Amino acid sequence: MSEKRCVITGLGMINSIGDTVDESWENCINGVLGIKEVRSIDTSDCYAHMGAEVRPDFPVDAGEDAGVMDRVSLLMVKATREALSDSKIEINDSNADRVGVIIGSCVGGAVSIQKYFTDIKAGKGDKEDILKMGIGAIANNIAKISGAKGVVTNIGNACAASTISIEYACDLIRAGVGDAFIVGGSDSFSALAFGGFTALHALDTDPCSPYNKSKGITLGEGAGALIVESYEHAKARGAKIYCDVLGGGISSDAHHITAPRPDSEGQMNAMKWALKASALKPSDVDYINGHATGTPLNDSTEIQAMQTIFGENENTSVDSTKSMVGHCLGAAGAVEAIYTIKGLTTNTVPPTIGYSDEDLENLKEKAGKLDFTPNVKKQRNIDIAMTNNFAFGGNNASVIFSKEARDIKPLENNKVYITGVGLVTPAGNNEEAYLNAVKNGLAVSEDGTYHADITSEDYSKFGIKLNFYRKLDKLSNMQVVSGRACLENAGVTVSTENETDIGLIIGTSDGPGTDIVNFHEGLISNGLNAGSAFIFPNTVYNAAGGYFSINSGVKGANVTLTNGPQVGLQSIAYAYNLVRQGTEKMMMASGIDENTDTIQSLYDALGLLKKGDKLTPYEGDSRKMLLSEGAVTIMLESAASADARGAAKLAEVKGYGQSHESVTVGTLEGSGKALNKAIEAALKSAGIDSVDAIIGFADGNSVVDNIEKNAYAEVFGATIPPVMSVKTVIGEARAAASTLEAVHAAYILSGKLDAFQKAFDLNGGIKEVTVDTSAYRNILVTSYAAGGSYTAVVIGK
Amino acid sequence: MDAKQTEIAEKIKNILVENLRIPAEELDYEVELFGDDGIGLDSIDSLEIIAGIDQEFGVQMTGVAKENFVNITALSKYVLEHLEA
Repeated sequence: MSEKRCVITGLGMINSIGDTVDESWENCINGVLGIKEVRSIDTSDCYAHMGAEVRPDFPVDAGEDAGVMDRVSLLMVKATREALSDSKIEINDSNADRVGVIIGSCVGGAVSIQKYFTDIKAGKGDKEDILKMGIGAIANNIAKISGAKGVVTNIGNACAASTISIEYACDLIRAGVGDAFIVGGSDSFSALAFGGFTALHALDTDPCSPYNKSKGITLGEGAGALIVESYEHAKARGAKIYCDVLGGGISSDAHHITAPRPDSEGQMNAMKWALKASALKPSDVDYINGHATGTPLNDSTEIQAMQTIFGENENTSVDSTKSMVGHCLGAAGAVEAIYTIKGLTTNTVPPTIGYSDEDLENLKEKAGKLDFTPNVKKQRNIDIAMTNNFAFGGNNASVIFSKEARDIKPLENNKVYITGVGLVTPAGNNEEAYLNAVKNGLAVSEDGTYHADITSEDYSKFGIKLNFYRKLDKLSNMQVVSGRACLENAGVTVSTENETDIGLIIGTSDGPGTDIVNFHEGLISNGLNAGSAFIFPNTVYNAAGGYFSINSGVKGANVTLTNGPQVGLQSIAYAYNLVRQGTEKMMMASGIDENTDTIQSLYDALGLLKKGDKLTPYEGDSRKMLLSEGAVTIMLESAASADARGAAKLAEVKGYGQSHESVTVGTLEGSGKALNKAIEAALKSAGIDSVDAIIGFADGNSVVDNIEKNAYAEVFGATIPPVMSVKTVIGEARAAASTLEAVHAAYILSGKLDAFQKAFDLNGGIKEVTVDTSAYRNILVTSYAAGGSYTAVVIGK
Repeated sequence: MDAKQTEIAEKIKNILVENLRIPAEELDYEVELFGDDGIGLDSIDSLEIIAGIDQEFGVQMTGVAKENFVNITALSKYVLEHLEA
């Protein structure tokens, strides 16, 4: 085998037709309909009333933190416990650092968001509900109950989220970053999704009928968990192996925020790239579990995509398990991957239910040579199976499972350089403004925090029209401008020649919180049937990435991660992996977060919001921080690609480390050891044992600052390198600040910043010093997330 | 346009500004709302306009012919004609 084998060793699932994989699978192959009248929310004022809900009181042991978990986490815990026990993996001191957690979700803690703002309207909200709101909480909760201490993050790519989680885990295993990953996804039934799809008139009044009547979707809920493991690790512990995961493909439509491309190009790219990465041809695929939502546009474009690629195959089966379990959104990819794997390993294609005799006649025309497995399961030999999922934002993901080990396309080992930067920060929206702010400082805005403004000049500079940008929330507008500025700074013009060679990984701590709350407030004030069709598309975490793809035309991998401020470095690590292994020639990595009245009110309710004074790291005795915002995008490019087009290399990304030490969601105390490990792993992966300086993450919150100080003392002893701060310049911009740290390092190494820079000397106290950076070769950048995740990246000259 | 229709038109303009984030200065009563020549609204925007008009005036515009959506004048005329007495 040329590349590490990735295998599936454990499965866990809960959805409307079962509390366990066995129960759900048995019902699935027997065509049991899990769609009924909705129970958990009052849909009486809506035109549709169907849903595929999990029973309300499903049993789950969520441990000591159950009280701070939204239903979305409880569903994920239920599935995870089953997958862990199925795989018989023991996570203990000897392997925990190499076990990670990657969880996908679409609406995250939407149930808690609805509850909190309903309570606020009536007087007072419960603080704990704030901690349950974000998607970011889910993977932390799973790490806590499982003991995993490796890479921990969440994928926010709506309905393709958990498909991507499987692919990312395989990338990390093949890159040698981990041995086993708990992956999958979860979503609970929510007013957000039901109200949103009601507003879009996208719900079917009957149980959904994908590939058949195609009158709309039926929402479902549930969670799916898979244990993805390196073959060596699985074999060493004598694990049962379900199947191999071969390659995957992730693409972006560059077309529309909710509708698929009429020409199916994006969907086909994901499928083609999965085949290519797996070293397979279309005729090798025996079974495809389709995305198959039941909307007219999804079904017609997906059938067109499958006909184009697989239409000449003599013996390919297709099905829609959504016909039984509805659309489980962020859990759909995991639930369907599990059905795909069960189908593969038992030579059974589940049925697509709901066909009448007349429907069967109509199907003949649509189906061609493809077998859509209507009404009754089919026993047949399956060696290779594919599962596809498509999301809002125009994101598409495909992944391929194989019964036998097979050689996949060999991965490359490229050097990766930073060849462009795009800045939207409170300092202004270009390099010069930031360099000036580093020199001269920056005043806070009138409300006592920092704000990044987009002006009409920014829009006109990139030809972004009113009828485009008016639809976007602040987060998306900042992303579009910083992404376009990054492309321009890198000297890249997007064309049909390179559009699929360029992708984007975004990290966001708090996601599109403002439009999520705006949407909920509309539902709460006006009713479930009166949600805003205009705002709803902005409520998915990957909207910013989708809008950027639409505006710029880039069609490569497009993934949004969420897990606290450090996710602005996790995005660099993910993008770096994709360029290094040769999946894309160019990957942009972004960190984005917004500072609006809504976001401030939530931080304030948690007692974390500081206003007014300058941010003073390492010396504060309070828990508060000076909130800020921005979007920072860097272009990561392979040496060959940069050389071929004569691009200037600003700096090199030399390596990274990620670690996790579980503490309760929303807290940080007690997790500091993971920062030591992340730093040590970053140095090791960069092949160095010391650095010239550190760009740190202290933000004046004493808990954050102390963890950072202590870790440096423990890792570097009495010779802590000088520590610099971007947050003293632009405030706590969370993910945007983390990505900016890497930019700051690149600006020092490339000589864009003056040689003499202010820094903190943390050896025996805190001294502000001036350092000469002219001979610097390597700079470490670090960041943190509440819940206990840390990432460190080494930027080299 | 009489006073009653002007009042309706002003409310509709407000819906477009508030719900569809169109700057007020871009909107007069005659500017074409859909298509590339005008403001460039799309099908999602039309859902939002229908919902906003239903909420504000109790007038249902689902399935109503396109020409009634051409501009604010056309919308206000339709609303005026279908307001319950």
